[in-house]
Amino acid sequence: MSDATVRPGSFLVVDDSPLHHQMYRVVFTRGALAGSVVHHASNGREGYAILAAHPELTLVFLDLNMPEMNGLEFLVRRRAESLHPHVPVVLVTTESTPEDEARGRAAGAWDYLRKPFQPGDIERLVARVRAERAPAA
Amino acid sequence: MADENAFAELIHEYVAECLPLAERVSDAFLEIERAWHRGGRDAQAIAELKGTLHTLKGNSAMMGLAPMQRLAHLLEDLCALALADEGARGLELAGLLVEGSGLLVDLVRGAAEPGGAAAEAVGGFAGRASEYLAAHPAAPAAALRLDRRRSDRRAEGDAGTIRVDFRRLDTLLEIFGEAMIEQSALPEVHRRLAARVGASPELADLDRVVVALGSTMKRLESALMQTRLLPISTVFGRFNRLVRDLARGEQKQVRLETEGGEMLLDKSILDRLGEPLVHLVTNAVVHGIEREDERLRRGKPPEATVTLRASALADRAVVSISDDGRGLDAARILARAAALGMDLPEGDASAAYAVIFAPGFSTADAVSQVAGRGVGLDAAASAIHALGGAIDVASEPGRGVTFTLTLPLTLAIVRSLIVEVDRERYAVPLSHVAETVRLEPGAVHEINRQGVVMWRGAAIHVADGGEILGSAPERVGGRKYCVVLSAGPRRRAVLVDRLVGHQDVVVKRLDATVGRPDVVSGATILGDGRVACILDAAGIVTQRAVA
Repeated sequence: MSDATVRPGSFLVVDDSPLHHQMYRVVFTRGALAGSVVHHASNGREGYAILAAHPELTLVFLDLNMPEMNGLEFLVRRRAESLHPHVPVVLVTTESTPEDEARGRAAGAWDYLRKPFQPGDIERLVARVRAERAPAA
Repeated sequence: MADENAFAELIHEYVAECLPLAERVSDAFLEIERAWHRGGRDAQAIAELKGTLHTLKGNSAMMGLAPMQRLAHLLEDLCALALADEGARGLELAGLLVEGSGLLVDLVRGAAEPGGAAAEAVGGFAGRASEYLAAHPAAPAAALRLDRRRSDRRAEGDAGTIRVDFRRLDTLLEIFGEAMIEQSALPEVHRRLAARVGASPELADLDRVVVALGSTMKRLESALMQTRLLPISTVFGRFNRLVRDLARGEQKQVRLETEGGEMLLDKSILDRLGEPLVHLVTNAVVHGIEREDERLRRGKPPEATVTLRASALADRAVVSISDDGRGLDAARILARAAALGMDLPEGDASAAYAVIFAPGFSTADAVSQVAGRGVGLDAAASAIHALGGAIDVASEPGRGVTFTLTLPLTLAIVRSLIVEVDRERYAVPLSHVAETVRLEPGAVHEINRQGVVMWRGAAIHVADGGEILGSAPERVGGRKYCVVLSAGPRRRAVLVDRLVGHQDVVVKRLDATVGRPDVVSGATILGDGRVACILDAAGIVTQRAVA
């Protein structure tokens, strides 16, 4: 993975915690990802609407626990409606068990991001998306 | 270490988001402890609390705050045990939940402060919680982290909230105060102009502009004050734990109820309200409420209630603290006042009750560890008076006591009476002015070499304004007006030369090195640009109690 694969993109953060949105802001305004376009949603329903309007998204960060449509419900509905299936979705969790993760992948999660994470973890995820789906970007 | 964490700069956002969550969890556990104490075994609320703890754990982990992460994790496990094992739902488990969540509140609250709440405190709790969990293997470890439920919805509109240092709001208010002073000079300029040029359409326009500006300034003032308001629940919230801990120490059962927590009050008042309330609530639990056996004998429920209630009057806030304990003992209070050589108030029992606010007064026979040596009530009363507020007490023997605090909505702008003494102007907060009286010749008498005037049938001590303020001391009798100041039940009259009028003044705090801090609480600028001292009316009134 070269550094060139870590470059700004277009992201969607779906999380009900204002603190977490601030954290993503830190990640996407500094370092290799500075200059990215970031969309923010505070629940699954809002996030789903944004995803529908933005097929160009590089990656979606989806919190598992949320009011108004949680992460799993989001994934299940997206699969059912086949909404932009090329956009990878990362499910964000705290201490998920292997069973939880299997459930998430079955519902269509591309990968997991476990809290606590640091900016480097997100940069690595972005690099992997770029490498795996180069033509889609 | 939080310092190496990429998100360490978000520590204030962390506290802003997590402290209310932690406080809610802590309050809910207190509630559950009470319910379980009464023999209930309901654990319905715990599933949701566990979800909130999971959030707290995740957020703390993100910030690199290991002690909070660990605490939240242990509490989550204790919740899982409570959900899985009905037999475990008892006072031991509830005690751990209450203790751990209290610790969590303290740690989160102190997270932004250097060397905040001691993280070492987690160690002792963690040891006991782990031991307890190990002794109750009913909790299936894998099922603990279902990571599923959560209903802690945040209020809509959070996204539009920003954090502002409170000092910036103070600065805004100061600038507004200067604008208000400049504006207040306009009518005078208008008047002089009208006197010179007579009636003209331009002058009529100017008049309209001055009036419109006045009403816009009023709106600006109220909008500015809005930015300084916080719900009083931020103060009430601290008392759940205090009441529980005190009650436990006293071996009493006490529940705290709060009403009107959503009432908004200026932060400068809230910051100074906590301490007097602690005195009053402590007194209620320690002295007001009877022991359980006594309550049962009197046909009362064994669990006593202390109620904190807030409500808004037109331009004042009213906060009351009630208990359903034994009530005040008027006979004992009067006997005590007589023994202390105090002036006995005349009139009904409610007048007698007022002496309990006097310095050094206490009817507690045993010196209680918590309530101290009777410094509580007078300290609370003088703190309330210093805020420009009043404190009253009502009591029904056998039924309980209610203390009622009446408070100004803000300390930043004070409605004042402007007086003149030796050609200097002073602002006297109207909240402390009982009456102004034009002095008849010979109205001031001398008793024991102290000046006295008769006011509403009682003799009250009088002081010369010039003497108090250090301007040319004049023989008592040379002044034309008398301002009767009040602070709680106490009165004192001050002689002045002239009453200038009423004005809203913006308070500027004085540097400790200037002025005479014993009688002057701050300064302000008047409409004509003159600087005027704001008199510390409560201080002047209580001064005489010492003299």
